Amino acid sequence: MTRATAGRALLFGVLAAAWAAAAWFLWQSRVPGSLHLPRLDEHDYFTAAQLRASASFSRVEVLIWLFGVVVQVVVLALYAWRGHRFMRESAAGPIGSGMLLGMLGFAILWLAEVPVSVLELWWQRRHDLSSIGYVEYVFGNWFALGGEFVFLCLALLIVMGFARLLGERWWLPAAPVFVGIALLFAFVYPYLTPTHKLDDPRLRATAQRFEKIEHVEHTPVVVEDVRDVTSLPNAEAMGVGPSTRVVLWDTLVYGPYTYRELEVVLAHELGHLSRNHIWKAIGWYALFAFPGAFLIAQAVRRRGGMAQPEAVPLSLLVLVVLSLLATPIENVISRHREAEADWMSLLTTRDPAAMKQLFRDFVPATLSDPNPGTFEYVALETHPTIMQRIEMAEAWRLRYATSTAQSP
Amino acid sequence: MHEHAEHPVRLVVEDDLRRNRLTVFFRILLAIPHFIWITLWTIVIVFAAIINWLATLVTGTPPGGLHRFICAYIRYSVHLTAYVHLVANPYPGFVGEEGEYVIDVRLPEPAPQVRWKTVLRLPLALPALLIGATLGGVGGTFFAPNGGRGGTGVRFPSFGGSGALSGVAAFLGWFASLVRGRMPKGLRDAAAYGIGYDAQVMAYLLLVTDRYPSADPTAMLGDVERPPQHPVYLVGEAEELRRSRLTVFFRLLLAIPHLIWLTLWSIAAEVLVIVTWFATLITGRPPAPLHRFLSRYVRYSLHVYAFLSLAANPFPGFLGEPGRYPLDLSLPGPERQNRWVTAFRIVLVIPAYLINYALLFALAAAAFLTWFVALVRGEAPWGLRNLSAYALRYSAQLNAYLFLLTDAYPHASPLEGAAPEPATFDELL
Repeated sequence: MTRATAGRALLFGVLAAAWAAAAWFLWQSRVPGSLHLPRLDEHDYFTAAQLRASASFSRVEVLIWLFGVVVQVVVLALYAWRGHRFMRESAAGPIGSGMLLGMLGFAILWLAEVPVSVLELWWQRRHDLSSIGYVEYVFGNWFALGGEFVFLCLALLIVMGFARLLGERWWLPAAPVFVGIALLFAFVYPYLTPTHKLDDPRLRATAQRFEKIEHVEHTPVVVEDVRDVTSLPNAEAMGVGPSTRVVLWDTLVYGPYTYRELEVVLAHELGHLSRNHIWKAIGWYALFAFPGAFLIAQAVRRRGGMAQPEAVPLSLLVLVVLSLLATPIENVISRHREAEADWMSLLTTRDPAAMKQLFRDFVPATLSDPNPGTFEYVALETHPTIMQRIEMAEAWRLRYATSTAQSP
Repeated sequence: MHEHAEHPVRLVVEDDLRRNRLTVFFRILLAIPHFIWITLWTIVIVFAAIINWLATLVTGTPPGGLHRFICAYIRYSVHLTAYVHLVANPYPGFVGEEGEYVIDVRLPEPAPQVRWKTVLRLPLALPALLIGATLGGVGGTFFAPNGGRGGTGVRFPSFGGSGALSGVAAFLGWFASLVRGRMPKGLRDAAAYGIGYDAQVMAYLLLVTDRYPSADPTAMLGDVERPPQHPVYLVGEAEELRRSRLTVFFRLLLAIPHLIWLTLWSIAAEVLVIVTWFATLITGRPPAPLHRFLSRYVRYSLHVYAFLSLAANPFPGFLGEPGRYPLDLSLPGPERQNRWVTAFRIVLVIPAYLINYALLFALAAAAFLTWFVALVRGEAPWGLRNLSAYALRYSAQLNAYLFLLTDAYPHASPLEGAAPEPATFDELL
């Protein structure tokens, strides 16, 4: 072994150790490691008709997702092969031409995915989960594509700019810049989401009480109106620093949910903030950005590297394939965070019955399969399954609710 | 080289630009008898047009008598519009005499017409009416909420619509003619172009010909003398009409990064133009580095809007470099400029801004229609491309004037300026 090889191995080892240490730190959770989820039978919580409907809905959703993935990979593979021909449509320099090729790749992908999107919308409309019109949906997506173009151009400007300066080592400065952009986006995103104040005084008072318990005082709780386009219930914690807030969809606040169920949701979202999940998500993004950018740099070497616009179509394919491969891992991390937020909710509300009821109500409202198959679970589930969440509520009840002296 | 057949409806311009100040001042009032007369005539024409349509549908050719009657109406409409818009000076006759007015239109003899085009004439004419609404105002009745004249009553397409190029040129020409006793050639040509296009649209709509109107300003004013070359002019590959269908479909979205960059660049340009203004006022010429920067900005702006409006095909660069884009701009160097013109530049630019504003509507309409055509055929229509080039050229001349690249006022003529003739051997001697 030469000294250079040994040096590289050592460097790799140090970097891998640093990566693992950072991942370990980000993985820390308030959910007790010793917590054992009891096995519960879904038939005790849902009717046979509900289980049939959700299983049938989810099965088709998975098929549509798979169809979409195949379309995505095939289209981008073809584009990686032939996309450089669009160079003749550019009078710009290398970076401008790279931007054009990037945008055209996304444009072709958008065109190819229109049938998939329409199929998915049709399936949701058929089950009354969406009320958005087809034309409105397609044109809405078309405008959203404009936003993607802007981000893509910015990304390519960074990557190609560094590649022209540093050659194949562009990924070293580019990855932290992308992390910075992710952070900026996390900060700005809440300001781009149109919301209004929560007008229920009782829920507002509860929010203030929970904020004190979870040590996230003065977090605004607001409502987003989505009822015109969907009937799905949802809530999210978003923002960093002064933009931090909890957003509840009006389908949830004004939906068929009891006050106690809304308390569970509120405590769950505040739990995300309490446990710094947005910061941790950015941390995870950083951990994936470095190796991801490095792999892209390696993959496009034969096309002349990222300094050449001809490499852009291939880089899009590599990016999408890497994202697909990373999806199961990202889902594991996401489920881990969501489980912790559920646990925080239980610690705050001390109401496992309300949590169970909330998730029971979610099944007919969202048609989520309470106990999906392994593939769906690994590839698509960003949250613990409904049954796992009910089981966690039951586990909390068994652990703490029997004796106040044992309460955390 | 593209071959472009001559349009059967041809505008004839024999005007010498001289204007009588008295008749200019009272022009609208003097035209009142004509307004009454054309309103009556228009009512008759509506019925004549329906009969003509049915007859052409049955026989395939418009009947001679009706054809002559409609031609006289179109000619009269051109004479009257030219008079009202100050494109011509003499008071016009009332019967649309052929070859007797300084702004006239040559119309074809009755000829067989394709029947399906006759059946669908009105829907087929809609794109031309849209362009007409922005140029002469012929489509104002169809595309403006109150008809072509702000709801004054006359709603047939024989008068300029508010906001149309001819209307703005006439408005500015009124002041200029009163002061100088002459109509500025640029304004006259611009208004004449709009009127000529209106005549072609009317001839198409009223079944005088089944040849579609051509928006090409160069062909429309082919017999008119070209103005002297402006120091800011278009260069590049005018004949390149190929358009990539994919980039046409996504043109608006693809332009977004450029529009963002152009906005950022505009902020810097607006700051630096103030510095340039002071420097030019003091030294008499713009500082070379600032002139270079602002030249790049003006050129880049042209590239972006040429791409956005489909007047050119490729994705432009971000630096406004000369010689890289098929629709490019030749700009003068940092030459000496008149200090008075520099001092009052922001005021002097207002008339040109109004013309530019009218042309932007034409550019938007041309881009909108080109989008559909290019998507289907994979190439831009020659006429619309040249209309867009005219609007872009004027806009570039305006920007060059505003950003102190030249003190030459933008020239409103749709005709590209003629390069100075090379000196003859005798002159050299």
